[in-house]
Amino acid sequence: MIEYILMITTVLGAIIALMQRDLLKAAILTGIPGISIAFLFQFLLAPDVALTQAIVGSAIVPVFIALTVLKTRRTEEKSK
Amino acid sequence: MNANALIAVMVILPIASALFLNLLHKKDRTIKILAIITAIVIPIIPLLTPYGSHFFGGYVPLAQNATLAQGLPSLITGTQLFQFHPGVMYVFTSAQQLMVFVLGLITFFAIFTFLNETKRPSGVYAFLMFMGTASVSAILLSDDIFNIFVFFEIAALAQVGIIVASGIKNNYETALKYILLGNIAGPLLLLGIVILLGVTGNVNVTDMIFTFKQGYVDPNSPVILMALALIAFGWLYASGLPPFHTIKSAVYSKALPHGAALLQAFSVFTLVAIGIIILRLFSYNPFTNIAIIGISVIAMILGITMAIVQTDYKRILGYLAVGELGYIGIGLGLGTAFGITAGLFQAVNEAIITSFLFIGFGTVLYKTRTSNTRKLGGMMYVNPKVALLVLLAGLAMAGVPPLNAFQSKLMLIQAAIQSGLPELGIIMILLSIVTFMTFMKAFYTIYMRPKPKELEILDNKIPRSTVISLVALLIICIILGLFPQIATNSLQTLAAGLV
Amino acid sequence: MVVDSQLMSFFTAGSLVVIGIFAALFLDNLIKKIIGLAFLADGVNLFIITMGYKPGGIVYIFLPDMVVSNFAQTASYPLPFALVLTNIVIGASTLAVILGLVIILNKRHGSLSASKILRDKGE
Repeated sequence: MIEYILMITTVLGAIIALMQRDLLKAAILTGIPGISIAFLFQFLLAPDVALTQAIVGSAIVPVFIALTVLKTRRTEEKSK
Repeated sequence: MNANALIAVMVILPIASALFLNLLHKKDRTIKILAIITAIVIPIIPLLTPYGSHFFGGYVPLAQNATLAQGLPSLITGTQLFQFHPGVMYVFTSAQQLMVFVLGLITFFAIFTFLNETKRPSGVYAFLMFMGTASVSAILLSDDIFNIFVFFEIAALAQVGIIVASGIKNNYETALKYILLGNIAGPLLLLGIVILLGVTGNVNVTDMIFTFKQGYVDPNSPVILMALALIAFGWLYASGLPPFHTIKSAVYSKALPHGAALLQAFSVFTLVAIGIIILRLFSYNPFTNIAIIGISVIAMILGITMAIVQTDYKRILGYLAVGELGYIGIGLGLGTAFGITAGLFQAVNEAIITSFLFIGFGTVLYKTRTSNTRKLGGMMYVNPKVALLVLLAGLAMAGVPPLNAFQSKLMLIQAAIQSGLPELGIIMILLSIVTFMTFMKAFYTIYMRPKPKELEILDNKIPRSTVISLVALLIICIILGLFPQIATNSLQTLAAGLV
Repeated sequence: MVVDSQLMSFFTAGSLVVIGIFAALFLDNLIKKIIGLAFLADGVNLFIITMGYKPGGIVYIFLPDMVVSNFAQTASYPLPFALVLTNIVIGASTLAVILGLVIILNKRHGSLSASKILRDKGE
């Protein structure tokens, strides 16, 4: 049962992250699909990949993107 | 003993040297010496290496490993598990020898001109060049399709690095665009690879073909067609065929001339390597050949016609280089042994000639710091010798005898007629003429028309090493033009194996 | 209703790929594009892992107290997992390169909008 919840959080988290106007929020929310996928990997019998993904997907990628956002600009510009 | 360690050295040596160069910072003399030694050694290794295959980690197929095979249950020895390749395998035949050699040669000339045209050669730039060479050599050698993907990504990163390091206006924008597209194409290529893995249970191309041939897998299932489409998408990106011709020509024009010479060699050899893999895997399907020919014809027409309207000579060369890729594609797509030999021969020639042109026109950039043809003129009087060399390079690209592209284009046209497609031959001849016209227009505006008043010609002398590189490339062109057997003999075996 | 979890996992991977490609192609903001690319890579990874999964199987790590034939029949297929490990690292490193480029370009153009930065000026 728990895997279905993880799958739903993955997809929903991805969509929500992309819908944010605040880029810092979007960057942090990128971690939700990342960590859900890590748990899914554990469920799909890949514990070593899950460990790597837990670090990369839930910490490194969001932090990299968040750092970029802090160094550039916080909000999305209005597209014409 | 099946493991031939020198095959691995072809990839490992440039990587090791590159990593070492990256560590050296601001030690100009050491960088120069190390880079030039590596650049000399790289083309020599393939000449010394005997043909054969290398198994990384010594994981030969069980059938060849007598000690392990002893006492295995019949569950394994009786099935195909016994034949499969468990590790990454590199195959080295005469065709790979020629292509890795030519790639090494172009790397040598690029590094040679780079070290002498730049006042303070940076180790990082040489690092990127060697990294790219290593990864494209690996793509040429590898028989393991996932290994190809890994080096595809490394090659893309190295190319982006070469663009970023050039310092030409708007290079960051092009680099970002290229890597964004690469990050779409890369995962899709991987998706294609893993679909094949899922269907056949293998990432080794030889084993995949074996499973197809033995009928364990239905090769006409839509899943495999999807894999073909995804792999072909990655192939188009890596080689710069349409729809990626615009970005690829921008990439060439945003790199320094020696970098561009190397970059186009990367695209040419990636096109050949992944094209061969596609042909090996999917040639049972007639649609593959039709698709390759179709995309190649589009590449030729788009590339060469878009070259006419450009005003930046590096952009002109970039589009012409993309257009010439179409010839290779047609050779591969014809599907006959003769056609594939012609295509591979054209690939070798094209890599040499285009780097010749890029390095040759690089002298204009070196003397004037501009690449806009509208602002240029009268370069003939500045250095008539180099102008003559550039003219010869252009003649070679258009396929004038006795230079090398004449032989390969002739072979291509013959192959097209033999396969019952004389229309392709006519298109190729027409586009050759257009190529020549485009080149002559650029040559006239840069070299022959009167010098515009605003044009400042810098006082720096063209380094002798650049002229030496140009003459050496011209000699290679003439040798291949007079004795095409040198190249075609080594390429024939591979081509015959593909049919 | 029992739904096959492997099939659902394939659908999840597929939707991540679609979301990723959509974001990378159609969203204007560069950071959003990059997030989309990260989702695309994640989706492909999930696809590969799902392919190696064996329903009701065990983890592919061979422990000393296992029986070989039993292990061979129940363990999931380990080759895809090795590929994913490589791909995760490649994805993270290319992401870092792209983000570096974005920081530089933002300094030059004062914008993160792809339509402003990536316009081809035909030079």
